[in-house]
Amino acid sequence: MSAFFDAWHYDGKNAVRRKVEVQIIGAQFFLLETERRHGPFAFSEVEYVTHKDDADVYGLKEADGWRLMLSGPVPSDLSAMLPARRNYGGWVDRLGFGKAAVAFTLASAAAVAVVLLSPQWLAPLIPSSVDEKLGDALVGDFGGRFCSTPAGDAALQKLVASLDANPDDLQVEVAKIDMVNAVALPGGKVILFDGLVKQARSPDEVAGVLAHEIGHVREKHVMQALLRQMGLAVVLGGIDGNSGALVNNMLSMSYSRESEAEADAHSMKALGGANISPIGTASFFDRLSKMDGSASSSTSDNGIAGYMSSHPLSRSRKDAFEKSIVKGKNYKPALTPAEWTELKTMCTQDRNAKSGFGFDFN
Amino acid sequence: MNDDLSQRHSAFRFHGSWLEFARIAFPNLLLTIVTLGIYRFWATTREREYLWSKTEFIDERLEWTGKGIELFVGFIMAFLLIGLPFVVIQLILQGLIFRGEAAIAGIVGLMMFLLLFYLTGVAYFRALRYRLSRTYWRGIRGGSDNPGLQYGLAYMWKSVVGWLPIFLGVPWSMISLWNDRWNAMSFGPHRFSATAEWKPLMKRYLLFYLVPFLVFVGGVVFGISSRASGATPDTLGSTGIAIGAIFAIIAVLSLYIVLPLAALAYYSKYFRLAVGGLRLHNLEFDFRARAPDWILFFLANMAIVICTLGIGYIFMPYRNWKFFVDHMEAYGEINIDDLTQSETVVAKHGEGLLDAFDVGAI
Repeated sequence: MSAFFDAWHYDGKNAVRRKVEVQIIGAQFFLLETERRHGPFAFSEVEYVTHKDDADVYGLKEADGWRLMLSGPVPSDLSAMLPARRNYGGWVDRLGFGKAAVAFTLASAAAVAVVLLSPQWLAPLIPSSVDEKLGDALVGDFGGRFCSTPAGDAALQKLVASLDANPDDLQVEVAKIDMVNAVALPGGKVILFDGLVKQARSPDEVAGVLAHEIGHVREKHVMQALLRQMGLAVVLGGIDGNSGALVNNMLSMSYSRESEAEADAHSMKALGGANISPIGTASFFDRLSKMDGSASSSTSDNGIAGYMSSHPLSRSRKDAFEKSIVKGKNYKPALTPAEWTELKTMCTQDRNAKSGFGFDFN
Repeated sequence: MNDDLSQRHSAFRFHGSWLEFARIAFPNLLLTIVTLGIYRFWATTREREYLWSKTEFIDERLEWTGKGIELFVGFIMAFLLIGLPFVVIQLILQGLIFRGEAAIAGIVGLMMFLLLFYLTGVAYFRALRYRLSRTYWRGIRGGSDNPGLQYGLAYMWKSVVGWLPIFLGVPWSMISLWNDRWNAMSFGPHRFSATAEWKPLMKRYLLFYLVPFLVFVGGVVFGISSRASGATPDTLGSTGIAIGAIFAIIAVLSLYIVLPLAALAYYSKYFRLAVGGLRLHNLEFDFRARAPDWILFFLANMAIVICTLGIGYIFMPYRNWKFFVDHMEAYGEINIDDLTQSETVVAKHGEGLLDAFDVGAI
């Protein structure tokens, strides 16, 4: 700060710098040059622009480039009329840095909490017609890949009916795709891939997987995940790409693990209710665990792999299904041998169904 | 002008200090974290206000008059107009793929890519326009009346033409686009004229372009010469194999080290030529940083970021701006009376598009 008060002025019309004196008249002021007088200007129009070198710079509303630069000790009658300096920006300056930081932290935490927790009770509120339309829009007829034979359909129908009390609002299909997988989609749609049905060694295995997917439908996991993902995208949209995506993935990952566990629990319950042995599903996961390598590691030291994967490891799922076996219970097979053969060969028999994706998925 | 060159300082001088900048950058970092990134628009603005106010051109400091809210609104607009529709289209694409409409999905995907490509060009243009329109010197600002829509098209076709002859046209497209951009800009009443030439850039570009080949040829020559001297891996046994392995590693490393160095050497020449071709009325510009300056600058930046475990990243805007201003030079004269206010329109929103695409400065 220089010892003397100085005032400089740019009129915004050209780049000439003018040394001026400020003459205050009530709520207005003039800027006096040696032989010129600028003004009057209203103090209410003055706004703070920036601080540069040792001067505070003020502008005038609606006057592009108009500047008044004051350095040194500003006379108190003038400084009383001028707007306050801006530092962090409106809100933070008004609250003070510390309070604003705390307030922002709380608001952010609340926003994330709402986004993470609200889907659980928001999802059931979404009308099933919306859910169905979304499912139809996404899947349609799956490009003609659904397999259908009268006997195969009947077998599938029987399986669904034994596992769920309201089979009518479910749409379960077998798709002619050679992958060991199954998906639950919006609108109560469950798709079993033919690869999974073919490699299953008993109808009980298919029943366990199917019950798991029905679990996703009944617990509204698909809609929850969709809402949560959308909410996180909005809330974390401000963070730059990579770190935002990482946080987003970590959060949604932990939720999808929870959903998988819930769907497994639903599956065990449904199998128990239908009198189908969970041993088939256990052996299915046993075979999967040999594929994903979790069989070789002991249950205690698979911490990181277990945390980072969206599905619980096949090994621990196998253990869970094995534990749900009730000793001495009289289990019966999920389908008769004839029905099982029909279901297994449904996609081979149905020559109208298109196969595969027609191109590489990845 | 007969001034002694050694006595004369550059027309541009930077008076900032990193300690002062730290007092802006650290609170910025904190506020950005607790607001889940939303504060970063105001953070950028505060940093620019500081950097501009510490930059002296001839005898007056620059002013940054951009507002955080402008950048924020720009970001929201980009999110609503581009981000959201793209997410929806992505969903539709998945639906199309599920239905086996791969051809339509491919066409829609291609259209999406082209639109994004186009908008990237527009965004580059608008970012420059925004920055000039918010930069004041002696109460006068810059700007452009061109909305940059045509520049978006030029950006598309010139980039493609640059890539077509096995990427040999890149120097031409970069210089030509720089000229297009700056020829549309003005400061005060004067239009910029950008007449940089691309031909002098070709030698540097070929250097960068040929590095992988040179390393390969070097390896082959070494192999032949060692064979000619009888020192084949066979005769040297395991030592020979070790030497071979070491040379292979050197070859790979040199690719990783030499390639970025060659890229910097190219960029240094590009920037020197591009700025050197710039004129504003009676002013000519020059950028004096040569390849070694760029390389040292780049290595120092890396060292700062690595040694501070990433925290040093917040000083990069300071470092970049200081490097830029320290090496900028202007010659010629300005008639202060003739430098009248710019009559270009002032875009109300900031670098939203650019921000969304996350492309760098200048």
